[in-house]
Amino acid sequence: MKVLIIEDHQELARNIHDFLAREGYICELSTTLEEAREKLSLFQYDCILLDIGLPDGNGMNLLAGLRAERQQANVLIISARNGVDDKVIGLEKGADDYLTKPFHLAELHARIRAIYRRKNLGGANIVEFNEISLNTDTFEVRVGNSALDTTRKEFDLLLYFIVNKNRVLSRQSIAAHLWGDYTDNLANFDFVYQHVKNLRRKISNAGGMDYISTVYGLGYKFNSHKHEPE
Amino acid sequence: MKLTNKFTLWYFGIMLVVLLIGGAIVYYEIQWKVGRVEVVRHQRLNDIIAQQIRSGGDYSGHPTRKRATVTLIPADSVPQGVSSYYTRGTGWNPEFQVNEYRLVVTSFYTINGQHYRISTYSYIPSFYQLLPGVVKSFQWILLLLLVLVGISGRLISKYILAPFKRTLRVIQSFDLKKKAPLRLPDTRTSEFRELNEFLKKMTDKALEDYQSLKEFTENASHELQTPTSIIRGKLELLMESDIRDDQAVLIAEMQNALERLSRIHSSLTLLTKLENHEYETKAPICFSELTKEALNAFDELIQMKSLDLQTHIEENIYLPIHTALADLLLTNLVSNAIRHNISHGMIRVDLSSAGLVISNTGRAPEVPTGELFERFKKGNPGSDSIGIGLAIVRQICDLMNFNIVYEYSSGRHILAISFLSPAPASKLLQNLAVPLHPTL
Repeated sequence: MKVLIIEDHQELARNIHDFLAREGYICELSTTLEEAREKLSLFQYDCILLDIGLPDGNGMNLLAGLRAERQQANVLIISARNGVDDKVIGLEKGADDYLTKPFHLAELHARIRAIYRRKNLGGANIVEFNEISLNTDTFEVRVGNSALDTTRKEFDLLLYFIVNKNRVLSRQSIAAHLWGDYTDNLANFDFVYQHVKNLRRKISNAGGMDYISTVYGLGYKFNSHKHEPE
Repeated sequence: MKLTNKFTLWYFGIMLVVLLIGGAIVYYEIQWKVGRVEVVRHQRLNDIIAQQIRSGGDYSGHPTRKRATVTLIPADSVPQGVSSYYTRGTGWNPEFQVNEYRLVVTSFYTINGQHYRISTYSYIPSFYQLLPGVVKSFQWILLLLLVLVGISGRLISKYILAPFKRTLRVIQSFDLKKKAPLRLPDTRTSEFRELNEFLKKMTDKALEDYQSLKEFTENASHELQTPTSIIRGKLELLMESDIRDDQAVLIAEMQNALERLSRIHSSLTLLTKLENHEYETKAPICFSELTKEALNAFDELIQMKSLDLQTHIEENIYLPIHTALADLLLTNLVSNAIRHNISHGMIRVDLSSAGLVISNTGRAPEVPTGELFERFKKGNPGSDSIGIGLAIVRQICDLMNFNIVYEYSSGRHILAISFLSPAPASKLLQNLAVPLHPTL
């Protein structure tokens, strides 16, 4: 997947770049609107990460221009402005999603994947990993041939793990993904622990492999290479 | 009391005093003038009689002598320097058979070497005969004035105060968020012009301050969130490198601190937005539905803590509150009730048209419940929370003119919000309200 990161803060852009590069994405950076316009006129991108506040103008203008030219690239706005209005305007102007800073990189990745599934895979709403398959339309999980009875939160959690497989996911990142803006009132990460525990139990009970492991002190990890313990 | 009535009353008081003094003046003036005219007439009559004596004829039956007394006096009885004087007093009037007020004018003449004293008199109206007439006429004047001042006061004040009333209407509908400068109607009354100028300056300043505050909030939000975002990303990348367990713990601690920083920041930004009244109330929304939705959202958390949830939610309760605010309010209250609960405890939610009451079991707070509404105040200092949830709740209640009370009794935390509020103040007062949390 080719991603264009339009972000004036070099360090932030580099974070995103480094994170996505490990997924095998090809990332390019531009720090100004001018540079971004030039790149967009020359190359095709699957996904554009767009900051709103840029030194030479508002990212919304670029977005309007893109949509006017009928460019099909997915656009994800990343902004420090947490106004409801900004979110609404951004989505109305044709953005596919809106993420408020500060965000977790794993969250950004999950959003990019979600948009990609929605727009580019044309109705194929199945995410598969080995024996596990998730239907993002019906929120059904299957392990092998048996359907798994999961709650919506457990479904979201599993999808988050699979999208960010082989990465350490911090409890904060998981909490933010599951409860969104309201985590500040649910700082108790026991909830995360409970959900992960339940999910692992359900997958194991259905005969699936236990891919999820605890990373000491940090959080959890979905290991793609894990084998059935002897 | 209305300004018009005040003015009318004052005018009436002044009029009363003026009329009393005026009445006295009129009364004495008439009294004096009547006397004066009589005196002059009698002096003329005395002169005529003296003329008659000088001519030497017999005038004893003449009409001039009807009330005249002519006396020959010795030279030494003639007063020096005075040719005539008059006296007043009550005397018997034989013509009418009553005692009447009598004026006697006495003049002295020297005719052919002989000294004469000539006195004539007449009856004039007395003080007491004049007084009722004066009083009566002044009563009528007073009544007339009262009616005229009353009516004209109302009409004129309506005309004069019209610019003031227009100004009042304009400032009542003034709204900082609309960012429209105040447009006040022109007036020729200098006081109102001064008032308008002052109001204009004041609101312009308020608009300017509001704008800069808003800009500051936005900038602060933007400038602080970006570095936080960078640090968070770096930590996430670091997390995936090959690290030792002790390093992992350090990273986790850093992440916790970072999370708190970001939460505090976004909560403060939210509070500022609330204080700036950025959430304009729209059409009434169904609060019953929202309450149910909020409870549903927390369903699994409630189950996880094995809490017993009891709800008594009245249907179709509509409140004129912004959806985002209602959401924040409910989320904060419900999540507080869950977080500060004990395992296998209970939560009770009562919603009626009078208000919302959320009670839950939990440990006794270590500070007075009222103080928990302040920012960064926590019932249990060791807890993970940043202690801003209730400050947000209170801010929303203040904004909506709801009344909120927090009590702890017999093992239960009870938060009661009353929707029935006093009449809302004018928009201007809301906009200019001082920050509601001076303790920050």
